Amino acid sequence: MIPGPAPATPGERDGAIIRVTDLAKTYPGGVRAVSGITFDVRPGEIFGFLGPNGAGKTTTILMLITLLRPTSGRAVVAGHDIITEPDRVRLRIGYVSQDIAVDETLTGRENLYLQGRLYHLDRETIAARTREVLEMVDLTERADARVSTYSGGMRKRLDIAEGLIHRPEVLFLDEPTLGLDIQTRHRIWEYIRRLRSDEGITVFLTTHYMEEADQLCDRIGIIDHGRLVALGTPDELKASIGGDLLVIEVAGQSSTAPEDRAASGLVRLLESVEGVTRVSPTENGRWLLVVRSGEQTAPRVLAALGGAGLEVRSLAMKKPSLDDVFLHYTGRELREAGGGQDFLRHRLSLRRARM
Amino acid sequence: MTGRTFLQDTWWIAWRELKHFVAEKVRVFMILVQPFIWLVLMGNLFEKMATIPGFPARSYLDYMAPGVVTMVTLFGGIFGGLSIVWDRRLGFLNKLLAAPISRAAVVSGKMLAIAIQTAVQAGVIFVIALAMGVTFKSGPLGALAVILLAALLSLVFAGMSLSLSAVLRTHEALMAVMNFLTMPLMFTSNAMMPLEFMPKWLGTLAKVNPLSYAINPMRTLFITGWRPAELFEGLLILSLVAVAFGLVATRLFRRAVA
Repeated sequence: MIPGPAPATPGERDGAIIRVTDLAKTYPGGVRAVSGITFDVRPGEIFGFLGPNGAGKTTTILMLITLLRPTSGRAVVAGHDIITEPDRVRLRIGYVSQDIAVDETLTGRENLYLQGRLYHLDRETIAARTREVLEMVDLTERADARVSTYSGGMRKRLDIAEGLIHRPEVLFLDEPTLGLDIQTRHRIWEYIRRLRSDEGITVFLTTHYMEEADQLCDRIGIIDHGRLVALGTPDELKASIGGDLLVIEVAGQSSTAPEDRAASGLVRLLESVEGVTRVSPTENGRWLLVVRSGEQTAPRVLAALGGAGLEVRSLAMKKPSLDDVFLHYTGRELREAGGGQDFLRHRLSLRRARM
Repeated sequence: MTGRTFLQDTWWIAWRELKHFVAEKVRVFMILVQPFIWLVLMGNLFEKMATIPGFPARSYLDYMAPGVVTMVTLFGGIFGGLSIVWDRRLGFLNKLLAAPISRAAVVSGKMLAIAIQTAVQAGVIFVIALAMGVTFKSGPLGALAVILLAALLSLVFAGMSLSLSAVLRTHEALMAVMNFLTMPLMFTSNAMMPLEFMPKWLGTLAKVNPLSYAINPMRTLFITGWRPAELFEGLLILSLVAVAFGLVATRLFRRAVA
């Protein structure tokens, strides 16, 4: 069940700038990276794919930018079919990979020049466009320095600028802030927002950072094990959980203890409290309750537990975050599904090895 | 994809490689110094060879000069596949492939860059050799023919190297295979030793080694003068082999990135 706006009617689908239907990819060897996903992206929106590493995000992007052939299904990007008209798709999209793929030997300006030439722009257009995109990512002053002297954040900004040189209709950003520090990450978010407001570009991005999806994206698709498990605006997704969250810790009733009669008794007791709609264990031995109204239900939960002679060690009330949404739909917490740090370290050591 | 945009795409891929080539000052310096060292070292080391009856040149240095040209060509070409392996690792290859250019242009661009670099190197060696008093019998036009032969030969090895890089994919495996290939290619040709001085089986191998098709006409241009039939045979065979390897590389590469 996909929450959020009702499944697109044919009329809505016609207006979409990316239209994906039952797209699937099985790699040779049988790994099913993406198993039949369907969604639309509307013109001018920032659309995010949120999921852990290995969920199928990059595979989906590689198919949409025509670098990987789908096993089945189809997709139309900026009006052209990715399988039958890959060249037309490529002309209309920009792609910024998670590797910071800028040429260190060239200057920033030379990188942009090469990129412009590969998109068949003439010298004058490239010069004019270079000025614009450099301005946009605040790199004008360092444009003529070699990229090997740039910081990580500057390289990422140059990479994004390269993706914009030919005025794409859709910009694909694969993990745009992977491994960048907090300030740089916020700056990159600013640039992405500006792209949408100043140039009207549609942005499709992937991320495994909760805050990134929450603060930057108009709509989010949650992807796990190659399946799209939820789709909607951050608020819709949070509302789809069905209320507020209470986290309680009960003495002698750890949720991670082997299941016994006392624990199942506790679950029954909690479920019988008015306003509690769902009880589930958390990874650290506490209990997570989905409740209709946190303010009114919390006292009732405390009263019920007190009446049964149980001691409540702690109680926390919170509004659902995308973390909770992810847990709700996948049964796992996103941060436990693996981070990108090892990959980044590997890449940085590679770069050093080359120099 | 029209022919014109294919040529343009090829050029811009090559442009980037050439930028790398000139950016490394130490490398440019070594390219100038290395052939000089080889000529001096080998020329002196094997000096006495020229006194053996039947040796086809006045001095070993005369004999060796075209050998150094082909040696430099071999090394320049055969390590050409490395750049694509690096591009793959650093994610730059995906950037190239996401652009609206043909896959073949990525291969042909890398090959073109190597041919240009080799032509420059061959020119440098030629000038150094002349300065060291090496005989050259076929004039300025002959010099151009030598450079053309070197450029074509480098395309052969670049195509070979790019084909291997599409299959092997890692830099370590590629280096191992390249290192394995260079010496046999060198010694199963007559780059350093006349065919007549080799055991018969080695001489037979030398006849199918593409190196020989560059070095024989080159040596004739140096030592004897013009022998058009041999030159055209060399140019034709090298062109065919270079195109064949280029096509193989493109095909393997297309499959590798599918």
